[in-house]
Amino acid sequence: MNPFARYLKLSAVAVSGLTLCAQGAQAPQHIDIKQLSKKVEDVVVPLPNEVFGALNKLGSVNWKEYVRSNKGSNFTERPRIALLLGTVIADGFIAVQAEDAPTVKEIGQRVLALSKGIGVGNSITPHAKAIIEAADKRKWENVRQELDRTQNSVQQAMNEVHDEKLSQLVSLGGWLRGTEVLTAVVTKRFSTDGAELLHQPDLLAYFQMRLQAMPEFDLAIIREIQGALVEVKPLIDVGNAHISPESVKKINEITTRLDYGIVTRD
Amino acid sequence: MNAYVKVLLRGSSLLAALLALRLTVFGSVDDAQSFALQAAEPYVKEGFQVREDYWGGDLGAGEKKAVRQQLFKGNEYWFWMGTEVERAKISVHIYDSEGKLAEQPDGWEKGHFAAAHIIPKSTGSYFIIVNIEESPEERTHWALVYGFR
Repeated sequence: MNPFARYLKLSAVAVSGLTLCAQGAQAPQHIDIKQLSKKVEDVVVPLPNEVFGALNKLGSVNWKEYVRSNKGSNFTERPRIALLLGTVIADGFIAVQAEDAPTVKEIGQRVLALSKGIGVGNSITPHAKAIIEAADKRKWENVRQELDRTQNSVQQAMNEVHDEKLSQLVSLGGWLRGTEVLTAVVTKRFSTDGAELLHQPDLLAYFQMRLQAMPEFDLAIIREIQGALVEVKPLIDVGNAHISPESVKKINEITTRLDYGIVTRD
Repeated sequence: MNAYVKVLLRGSSLLAALLALRLTVFGSVDDAQSFALQAAEPYVKEGFQVREDYWGGDLGAGEKKAVRQQLFKGNEYWFWMGTEVERAKISVHIYDSEGKLAEQPDGWEKGHFAAAHIIPKSTGSYFIIVNIEESPEERTHWALVYGFR
């Protein structure tokens, strides 16, 4: 073998060695999920724009139809403010999908006001400012990122003062509004792939579990949400079957009713 | 060198030493998250939106942890794992709700960074398994972030 060929061969061995290092050991093709059940961490609740992104890939959506600039009521009860805040952040993502700068700016202000209402305004001020600036410049990717940061900062600030339950209500408010819009879009133009996006039984179970651990929040809206989740569960927990157009419509009715309850004073 | 400069230099060296000590002895999940985000950086240019929220904790060498996550068909996801323990070897893999390996073959492990890639075939819950394969520390902080497009 000439020196060049030997050099080539050695290089090939070195490169494949590096690739092997980077790839690491092969993962088992199958694992026993039940064995891991005690070691499972909490879910990270998906942002509404994660679902909206998947919806966009199924066909164009006229997001302007779903933009809402109604400011909602002013509440004094912190759980109600937390739910509303989650809903308003979700509205921010919808306004970003619709590229509606004035609404995004209004939402930025509203998020700040609501955050102040639950005592975490200080950590949100820079994000609200960044949302408004990015909307002015129509930098939608930056607005999306700031909305995510806003939700994260609100929740971190709440967790720091041991208000984890309020933090979970923010996520729940966002999830309900996201689900309302998802079902509205799919009801309008049904597809099995669109309906499949509702297949979120573990997330629903997660929210049910969290709500059960909030007996101190003795509010009509919380009780209403608990009851509604029981109604929704069999509609989305269908195993390998398809979610029907009737189920999608029913979930839309339920989440629309809940959303009205969240944004409106009793 | 005047006395002022000497004091300043000594002070800076002390500060640097303390910072290094903090990273090795008092390393935290936040430090691990910084490394996970570092692994995610190149993917942002490819259009991935990296979530602010993340999972984290500490594990002993050889220990695994499962993270359950809702994924949506139509999206594409990367999960990036990091630890501040530079001599640790870590891995991350994605399984579907029945325990079947569901990731793309282009996942990678490079010392204290690892990543797994999935284009979900169906919408639902998936398990992301994080593993501290080797580590010189008794407990190793880890963090997992994800992005989608």
